[in-house]
Amino acid sequence: MTDQSSLALLRQMKLIRAFEEALVVRPDHGFQLISSGEEAVAVGLCSLLSPHDQLLTGGRSIGPALACGVDPSRLMAELLGRSSGTNRGKGGRGHLADPARGFFGAHAVVGGNISIAAGVALALQMSSKDAIAAIVFGDGAFGAGALHETLNISATMKLPLLFVCNNNQLSVSTPRSLALAPSRLSDIGAAFRIPSQTVDGMDLDTVIDAISPAVDHVRAGKGPAFVECISYRFASHSTTARETRTRDELAEIRSLCPIVSQSRKLRAAGLLDDNLEHEINRSVADTVEEALRFADASPMPQEEEALLDVI
Amino acid sequence: MSSEPASAMRKMFFREAIARAVREEMRDNPAVLILGQDVGRFGGSYREFDGLFEEFGAERVRDMPVAEAAMIGMGVGAAAAGLRPLVSITYMDFMMLGFDPLINYGAKLRYKTGGQMTAPVVVKTTAGAKGQGVAHSQCIEAWLMSVPGLKVVAPATPADAYGLMKTALRSNGPVVYVDHKRLFPVAGEVPLDQVAIPFGSARICRPGTDLTITAHSFMVRIALEAASLLAKEGLSAEVINLRSLAPLDINTIASSVKRTGRLLTLEEGQITTGVGAEVITRVMEKLGPVDFTRVGPLPAPVSSNPILEAACLPDAERIAVAGRLLLNAKKLVGSH
Repeated sequence: MTDQSSLALLRQMKLIRAFEEALVVRPDHGFQLISSGEEAVAVGLCSLLSPHDQLLTGGRSIGPALACGVDPSRLMAELLGRSSGTNRGKGGRGHLADPARGFFGAHAVVGGNISIAAGVALALQMSSKDAIAAIVFGDGAFGAGALHETLNISATMKLPLLFVCNNNQLSVSTPRSLALAPSRLSDIGAAFRIPSQTVDGMDLDTVIDAISPAVDHVRAGKGPAFVECISYRFASHSTTARETRTRDELAEIRSLCPIVSQSRKLRAAGLLDDNLEHEINRSVADTVEEALRFADASPMPQEEEALLDVI
Repeated sequence: MSSEPASAMRKMFFREAIARAVREEMRDNPAVLILGQDVGRFGGSYREFDGLFEEFGAERVRDMPVAEAAMIGMGVGAAAAGLRPLVSITYMDFMMLGFDPLINYGAKLRYKTGGQMTAPVVVKTTAGAKGQGVAHSQCIEAWLMSVPGLKVVAPATPADAYGLMKTALRSNGPVVYVDHKRLFPVAGEVPLDQVAIPFGSARICRPGTDLTITAHSFMVRIALEAASLLAKEGLSAEVINLRSLAPLDINTIASSVKRTGRLLTLEEGQITTGVGAEVITRVMEKLGPVDFTRVGPLPAPVSSNPILEAACLPDAERIAVAGRLLLNAKKLVGSH
């Protein structure tokens, strides 16, 4: 990786964090699904995708959408219900889509996008480009039948589909230890002869090192691959959901911040100093400010739009 | 609409009409493919895909594992990504497993993406009772009629089967195509020309003056039998084959009821919040109060036991009784 791209990836993680921090103080469009803490998974994965690839996610999708290159202004507009948003303000949280940018979209039914992703992978496979589909889902979706059915079908059909389980270890309030039997979620891959691994999702380089060979495998037409990234979400399930973890637990979790650790690593390597980081922070703040300005200047949809694009 | 353009006809079985429509569309459009159980060399559970695997190969006629939810999800996802899949779900009861991708994703996709994406998938499935029991006999098309973004069609004849399948495979959003176990061996005239039947177009298949009967799928045949019974008593029933449930051709139905003054709705699915309930309501919204009655199965599951299955299902005699009552009620009111 070049020094420039290391800094670009740091900037992306910072952008996701700053974007979400700006969004959560805007209660004017209902609750939001925040991914702070999980930036390394989104940024690491997207750094390995090509322009013709398509990414699908569960509802917690702001990080992946930004990392995929969706315009922050149109994304902010969408999340605030504005008609200049990626989905004309009609999808909102959990349903963002911008396939032209390789972000096929989010779908907020837990597990619901997994078989959809297999269909996208089938279309890519039949189009005989070397494009792949990637699906990001949480540990919550791991218990759903959709995953198990899709693992089987995609292995059988050798679909170009990368499964990325962003295991943030909580389904709203239910810890994965109570909800899921396997101790390592990636163990499920073996039954379907899908190459699989489990890695630390809080470290960007580790995520990239794990996903890179998985992407190569899938792109080479060898069928699906499965990567479990163990992460932590810093906020509660949604901006209106109760936090169930104690202050001490949260403090410990937040000490694992992937942005802080990446910045520390880049400094140690001599790639980052105070001035440069300050510059990155200011550029990120400008982008977020511009996104809010764009969204606020955009109109809400007209009532007549309720009947537009239904059929 | 009650007539299609004139065209030379050929007699074929219902299952052959489906295969012909799919074959033509697959030849015309390389994006069309089939996903389903036993659709390959086996040719479909009712041989309705006979010859397609041989012509188009395993790439475009794909046998799938028994996983309806993922199969419909894949079909919807592939459609959103540019293909035109036909997903074959053996029995309509099993569609329930795939409601999430079909209803939560496919039917909403165009709306929720502000018009930038659509999912042109056809879910073809077989409804109806024929000795298969409580979980292999249901007609749940009325459940689906209320889903914004979803189209639902139910052919009654080989010509319908052909023409509606052509339209379904060219449609720009998800379509549920409901056929029926008892229709596959039925033969009928089908136009030799490639004539697609537009959705939202019902067909008057027997003209009459005293009473309008609406039905779809296999029940159209039973309605025609009932109309023959009534005719022997000098009662003239007009039978309308709905063909398309969503959208519903309310104009054809309402103008018929305006002439006959009475409406009998017939369906094999439950009448509670059923197709008939919707037809009657929409007719009255247009015409004001009319005399009506609903005929459907007993409010019970459909057993594989032949005695119980027959007891549950509407038959011509039961419809004729309901028709007579409807006509007599009108006469009694009129005699005061």
